[in-house]
Amino acid sequence: MDRGSAVYFCVMTKSKKYYIAKQIKLTQKKHIKIYNHIRNKQKGRETEESALRTGAFFGKEAYMTSKTKVRGIAAAAIMLAAAGLAGCGSEDDGVTTIKMLQYKPEAVDAFQELETRFNESHEDIRLEIDSPNDAMKILKTQLVREDYPDIIAIGGDINYSNFLDAELLADISDFEGLSDVKEAYLKMDKELEYVPMDGVYALPYMANAAGVLYNRDIFEEHGWEIPTTWDEFISLCEEIKSEGIQPLYFGYKDVWTCLAPWNAMAVDLAPSDVCYQVNAGNTTFSENYREVAEKQKQLLDYAQNDPFAYSYNDACTAFARGEAAMYVIGSYAVPQIQSVNPDINIDSFIFPASNDPEKNILNSGNDLQFSIMNKCENKEAAYEVLRFFMEDENIQYYIDDQNAVPCKEGDFELAPMLDGMKSYIEEGKLADYQDHHYPAEMSVDAMIQTYLMDDSEDALDTFMQRFDTQWTRYNRDIIRKVQEYTEEHSGNE
Amino acid sequence: MGKKKMKNDRERTFALITIPIVLLFFCFNTLPLLKGVFYSFTNFKGYGSYDIVGLRNYMDLFSDSRVGNSYLFTIKYAVVCTIIVNVVSLILALGLNSKIKGKTVLRGIYFIPNILGGLVVGYIFSFFFTYILPAVGQTLGIEALSSSMLSSTKTAWFAIVLVGAWQSIAMNTIIYISGLQTVPEDVYEAGSLDGATGWRKFKNLTFPLIIPFFTINMVLCMKNFLMVFDQIMALTKGGPSQSTESISFLIYNNGIDGGQFGFQSANAVVFFVVIVAISVCQMRFMGKKEEQL
Repeated sequence: MDRGSAVYFCVMTKSKKYYIAKQIKLTQKKHIKIYNHIRNKQKGRETEESALRTGAFFGKEAYMTSKTKVRGIAAAAIMLAAAGLAGCGSEDDGVTTIKMLQYKPEAVDAFQELETRFNESHEDIRLEIDSPNDAMKILKTQLVREDYPDIIAIGGDINYSNFLDAELLADISDFEGLSDVKEAYLKMDKELEYVPMDGVYALPYMANAAGVLYNRDIFEEHGWEIPTTWDEFISLCEEIKSEGIQPLYFGYKDVWTCLAPWNAMAVDLAPSDVCYQVNAGNTTFSENYREVAEKQKQLLDYAQNDPFAYSYNDACTAFARGEAAMYVIGSYAVPQIQSVNPDINIDSFIFPASNDPEKNILNSGNDLQFSIMNKCENKEAAYEVLRFFMEDENIQYYIDDQNAVPCKEGDFELAPMLDGMKSYIEEGKLADYQDHHYPAEMSVDAMIQTYLMDDSEDALDTFMQRFDTQWTRYNRDIIRKVQEYTEEHSGNE
Repeated sequence: MGKKKMKNDRERTFALITIPIVLLFFCFNTLPLLKGVFYSFTNFKGYGSYDIVGLRNYMDLFSDSRVGNSYLFTIKYAVVCTIIVNVVSLILALGLNSKIKGKTVLRGIYFIPNILGGLVVGYIFSFFFTYILPAVGQTLGIEALSSSMLSSTKTAWFAIVLVGAWQSIAMNTIIYISGLQTVPEDVYEAGSLDGATGWRKFKNLTFPLIIPFFTINMVLCMKNFLMVFDQIMALTKGGPSQSTESISFLIYNNGIDGGQFGFQSANAVVFFVVIVAISVCQMRFMGKKEEQL
């Protein structure tokens, strides 16, 4: 056993020890899981290793080496030791335990604080929040084993659509807190349903916003104006370039970052329900995405040399050090940037992809939302947890900690780097990330990367054609479902 | 009478040792494999409900360009890596087996890459390829090295070959050294009477006698490299533009992360068959060439 985990156990809170002690009683099999979870928490970078272990599931048995077994035994030993230390926490009768799994590794501390606050103020409900690293994978493996948490705190993306489609989530339309949530965010969740469903299945909590982050100091020094149209944006880039400063910096080695400019521009240039319309057979992506793709390629002229060599971290670091004036990414990158340079003065503006300023809207999506699982036995207790999270003071705490955008109506104080987006948030002029509708296995991000690297004449046509054919292939079952629904629906009328 | 009882005791002991292992092997190896085969006939996402879709996944496999590319990449990678690793480690082993100073220390040093985890090595090399190598290339004015090897579809695969080979040479060298130590000295003495030196000594005496080790190295290498995963995860994550997606990586990535559990199970089944076939062929082919003293 490594020393790190022993130290971790010593500094753990009492509630955590209680939690672990209880787990041991439940089942021995969980030892390894908990141990891995603690390890992962501790060493954020070891994500892939846990992934390897999951990979063994698929016939990669070679990875289940004796090393893993030794670790398992070590884990069991630690667990028993911990049980001794905790003095066998007694199980109080009449206390309902609500288990929550949340997927944001950067918000672990915030969730821990909220967990403590909740447990201090509630006698009859005990909230246990699990924040594993790479939570979506952990959650999916838990689902394979039919081991369900009560509440899941995930993003409003394709995973939500899939969970909903798999009938895992409970209808929460009788939860009173829903009326406080901004209409735009509820609508986004509606659009994530493959076929329109009755009821509400998620409570939007926090949103993030994507666009262009800029270095306020550099901009003020040169007196540059915030662009409101595509032409203005391009001429701004030219101007920055002519003064010998790097206008943009990309971390395209991490493929998912290719989606940041893509999403930010697609909300301006393509309808928000384009994926549903394609599934229903009403349109194609070639008709809607051509301009987005062209413009994203044009941005490469203003990027650093060989953007495909640098990762997301590299790009954040470069922007933080003032090596570039602007960075097309979401608000989620701010903590990372500030960790390199805490004094950086950042502001943001929405990506002006269209030449009509009215069409340019904010790219904002549900970054964190709560869903109650169908299997949850005590829904009222789960509602109580949601009520607690929706209290203004807790929302403000989370916003301050995470620079997030609240989905609840109300007068909250936003982080200064969102100044340029504030009016859009208040007016609700926003649309969801289009990639929230793309199936993960289709790897649209890698397709965009391929297209950006492709220098041939017909690169755009190849890309558009590939997008359409791949889409039909990966969404076959969903398309069938949507078309069945449309037929049924028109039949009833 | 006593003898028979003893034999029974012996057999019982063997049974006691074997049966639990067989059960464990069945539970943790065979059963998951069978389950995987079952899921390969469904459109299972990894959770929720699913339908049985018959052979659709298998038909898709053969028409999916991404899967095809991953097979091409993996086989190319495995073949190149196996050749490089075996040539280099055989040369190293010959050197480390001869009478030189500091032999033990050198053996220790050459073994270090094998102790380090694949991911750690991957991250270190990732840094090396992104920052250090281009900097060196730029100062020396070498065009080919001045941009990151990992960012071009033409060179990224070779960067992974370098890292993979660098790491597995250690283990193969050890196997070759132990092979070389099994060659008795008197064979060389007899050979030297007939005038065998240098290359001819290696070709006609040493190599035929270490062919069993060569076989095992070839098979192990090929199998390990076909299942390449860590290096890809740490170096490129399948990029740039999906040019370095290995089969294992694709199975893992799309099966667990994307909702293609069923489809990738089918891929895993096919991959399993491919690996078994390649290993059997190698064993057959090499088995014929082995020499016995």
